[in-house]
Amino acid sequence: MTSLGSTFSSPLMQRALLEAIMTGAIAGIVGVHVVLRRLSFFTMSLTHATFPALVVAEILGMSLLTGTAVFGLFVVGIIALVSRVRSVDSSTATGVVLAGGFALGVVLISSQPGFSRDLTAFLVGSILTVQTADLVTTASAGVVLLIALALIHKELVLGAFDPGSFAALGYRVLVVDIALLIIIELTVVTAIPAVGTILAVALIVAPAATARLWTDHIGVSMAIAAGVGATSGFIGLVISSRYDIAAGPTIAVVVATAFVVSTVVSPRHGWISRLRITTPLTTRA
Amino acid sequence: MIRLLTEPFSAPYMQRALVEAVMLGVLGGIVGVHVILRRLEFMADALTHTVFPGMAAAFVVGGSLYVGALVTGAISAVLLTMLTRNRRVTSDAALAVLLTGFFSLGVILISRSHSYTADLTVLLFGRVLAIDLTEIAVTAATGIFTLIVIWMLHKELVLRSFDPIAAEALGYRVVTLDLVLNVIITLVVVASVKAVGSVLVIALLITPAAIARLIVARSVAKMMAIAALFGAAGGWLGLVVSYEGSVHHGLRLASGATIVLTLTTLFFVSLLVVVVTRFLRSKNSQPALTDSDFVLSGDAFPVGP
Repeated sequence: MTSLGSTFSSPLMQRALLEAIMTGAIAGIVGVHVVLRRLSFFTMSLTHATFPALVVAEILGMSLLTGTAVFGLFVVGIIALVSRVRSVDSSTATGVVLAGGFALGVVLISSQPGFSRDLTAFLVGSILTVQTADLVTTASAGVVLLIALALIHKELVLGAFDPGSFAALGYRVLVVDIALLIIIELTVVTAIPAVGTILAVALIVAPAATARLWTDHIGVSMAIAAGVGATSGFIGLVISSRYDIAAGPTIAVVVATAFVVSTVVSPRHGWISRLRITTPLTTRA
Repeated sequence: MIRLLTEPFSAPYMQRALVEAVMLGVLGGIVGVHVILRRLEFMADALTHTVFPGMAAAFVVGGSLYVGALVTGAISAVLLTMLTRNRRVTSDAALAVLLTGFFSLGVILISRSHSYTADLTVLLFGRVLAIDLTEIAVTAATGIFTLIVIWMLHKELVLRSFDPIAAEALGYRVVTLDLVLNVIITLVVVASVKAVGSVLVIALLITPAAIARLIVARSVAKMMAIAALFGAAGGWLGLVVSYEGSVHHGLRLASGATIVLTLTTLFFVSLLVVVVTRFLRSKNSQPALTDSDFVLSGDAFPVGP
């Protein structure tokens, strides 16, 4: 316990913990919508395509948040446009843009000195270097995101479950979709200092996927996802500082473990319970 | 112009890089056609990340990267199948979690080593310029084996892509076919990681095939030929661009990433050409083929067996 106490005594670690917990909670809540709409692969491409923007913002000395947010939305536009062409379906467009965006970032960063070090921070995060200003950014981004989600909660849920009646009721499907995309992109950008571009998708998808195994209710699911995200951030950071291993990936492994354990022990949907009520495992068509 | 395309390859290490890049381009292009037809893009992306911890472990203990990658590739194929059987969890979410979890394990392993960031960079983005003859031989052997399997099972794989029910009715084991395809994808990923790194392999598998799909929509064999051609051209041009930038213009360009960027550029150029010609043709006459698009089967992102 004493070593755990001393872990928290340094201001560096306190800032990192605060960042990890906040990011975990925000990503968890937004992730519920990502999982509902099966946008995991899309979010993945968003995180990869945000990578070159991060590099450009860094080279130009721009604010990371605005630079990456603008470029991320540009990428969403490209994917949407390319998928409209007949004979390119959306997963192909997503894959091409994902790989291309990532390569662009690598090429840009390879032309700068200090190639490996910067790259690692962008890819897997460097949570131990967060400053107070970063914490303020994360907190304000979190507040904005949560207010936005609360305001259009009903529209988002209805649009996810029944796009037909959603459109028939006179809602603008496109407007709500774009709002959600902006929210996801902002979340990705917020999560980058903690876990980097490759692993941001872990913090967004895994807590929400875990929550879905425990409840059917969206509100409850958001609460569980926020809890899982924040707890994983906390535990991951403590483990990483104890054993001197990379922080971002440790957080990602913890949250993935929460998910895998839940697929086994979840009371209604886990393997154990399904074995008990002898439902055949191959119910999937 | 010709000199620009051949001059970079006077040094032996550039020749080896060229042979490797062209072989991988051809291999990735051909296998990629199946990836795209079956909409396994996300699955392939997941595989590129899940082989990573095996490579990292092999790297740390000084073993063969290929063996490490193969072992984790096999484990992840099983895990993917089990996770996606849970109907509560959509396959894309399970893939995303597994992908990032495995990838993180790899980074954690590497983060214990002394030259953490440099090692990570090599594993993620490859070193096509440091390819030796043994690695070329491994790639060639993998390529030949993979192409023979694809050639022998061509009819079955194509039938399974377009009409899984008919394939089943004809007595083919769809599960086995899926498994074969997943193993082939894993083999291509494993063969490519050393040259272009685990993050960029996905481009070799998807982008040339996507270009081919833009150009022909009727014949799978033709698609494969065009994809192989573009994959090889991307490898060649990418190396030329990277060499020109680094040697003549003082601009260091990572070679693996430049190859991928070249392929992406080729994709967007083809897209533009196809869109413009379709537009012009539709203005002049009725489109000759209205039902020419593929009817794809399965869920949005079907996964494995």
